[in-house]
Amino acid sequence: MLRRYSGDVVARLEVNRLIAALPSADRQRLLEALQPVSLTVRQPLYAAGGPIKFVYFPLSGVYSIVSIVTDRDTVEVATVGNEGIVGISVFLGGRSTSDNAFCQVPGDALRMRAARFREEVYRSRAFRTVLLRYTEAFIHQIAQHAACYRLHSIVERCASRLLMTHERVNLDEVVLTQELLAQMLGVRRATVTAAAGMLQRAGLIRYTRGRITIVDRKKLGRASCQCDRTIRREYKRLLG
Amino acid sequence: MPDDVLGNRLLAVLAPEERDRLLRGATSEPLEARQVLYTAGREISHVYFPVSGMISLVVKMTDADDVEATTIGNEGLIGTAVILGVASTTMEALCQIPGRALRVPTRAVLEEIRRTASVNRLLLRYAEAMMVQLAQHAACNRTHSIEQRCARWLLMTRDRVASDEFPLTQQFLAQMLGVRRATVTMIAGALQKAGLIGYSRGRIRIVNGRGLEGVACECYDIVRRVMKTVTA
Repeated sequence: MLRRYSGDVVARLEVNRLIAALPSADRQRLLEALQPVSLTVRQPLYAAGGPIKFVYFPLSGVYSIVSIVTDRDTVEVATVGNEGIVGISVFLGGRSTSDNAFCQVPGDALRMRAARFREEVYRSRAFRTVLLRYTEAFIHQIAQHAACYRLHSIVERCASRLLMTHERVNLDEVVLTQELLAQMLGVRRATVTAAAGMLQRAGLIRYTRGRITIVDRKKLGRASCQCDRTIRREYKRLLG
Repeated sequence: MPDDVLGNRLLAVLAPEERDRLLRGATSEPLEARQVLYTAGREISHVYFPVSGMISLVVKMTDADDVEATTIGNEGLIGTAVILGVASTTMEALCQIPGRALRVPTRAVLEEIRRTASVNRLLLRYAEAMMVQLAQHAACNRTHSIEQRCARWLLMTRDRVASDEFPLTQQFLAQMLGVRRATVTMIAGALQKAGLIGYSRGRIRIVNGRGLEGVACECYDIVRRVMKTVTA
């Protein structure tokens, strides 16, 4: 089965931190069930109401989990990068889901059929333990987002999200349309334009044609609400 | 064993022998308003299964007042982290409306989860529903008007205390909704004028539940449905 993978992907397998946290025998078994896949911007990973077919283990990129409100609006409630998985509800027993997941910043992932994922969970205690702890960190992330939505200004949240996205993609330049950024932050596009404009005028970012370049990371950190840092700290505490 | 255990919906769906084992070291205790059930960063020593009353999960912020992330009543348990194998969380559980709960040592919960797959599955389903509820409330905070959220909050509380009337100060409601007190006074006044609620001396009475459901956002219904699937 291993020959399905390029050496590159095998070497990068451990880039997913949940997989990296497993003993090597467990990791090896997962590897046999995982297929590499490249995801493009806005590609859906699963949709509300339907069954989740695949569980994704991101190696790069950023994936957004959004709740649907009032039949039309979607609000981002969490993001997932290489610290986690997309499809946690398969682990918790859900057969269908009430949220949507899609790719926000393109990247690579490994994916596994939901049925196989359930088998692997059943088989491996180490895998279960890691997924339980991940669930707790994920719950914390959602709660922190909820509080952040209520308390912090759009500029603070915008700065915080840009920094986190930047850390995840590990490039100073992030490709992100204003429309996507608006959805991330749960505001209208015009509001994002204003917030990004303020950050740009202050010399913290540069924004041209859907590309955001971080000019001054330190200052951007000071302008942010730091909720994403709080979230990362909890992931670190629970998953190392 | 305390005779009110069936008032908690999770305990109610366990098989009698599972319930007996789980509750062997449990006590039935009153929950007082403002009582802290667990503190951020401290080990969770007991899991609470409420039979009445309401408890808030509160996010501790470093730069602002605490924010209520969601509420829990007799449909759930306080201490999801324990189910997930984690000793402590970053949130605080705070009793908002007095009631009673079964207080179960963490060790007893862990033992029963390990021993009985069906109990483990039930509690994980609850953790998932809790996650959905948190996400819905996060989205709700972002999207819906204070009036809609206020109506939702009152309806959820009514369901939890199983009574149309309950104690509630405007200050407290303001804190729960994350708005100023003057805003809550205005909204409560409007709901009262519309004949949906009655309000006097720190007590709220829901006069027209149907009408209030009409005002509330759909989040009320969504969360109620999700919670029902846990024990269905």
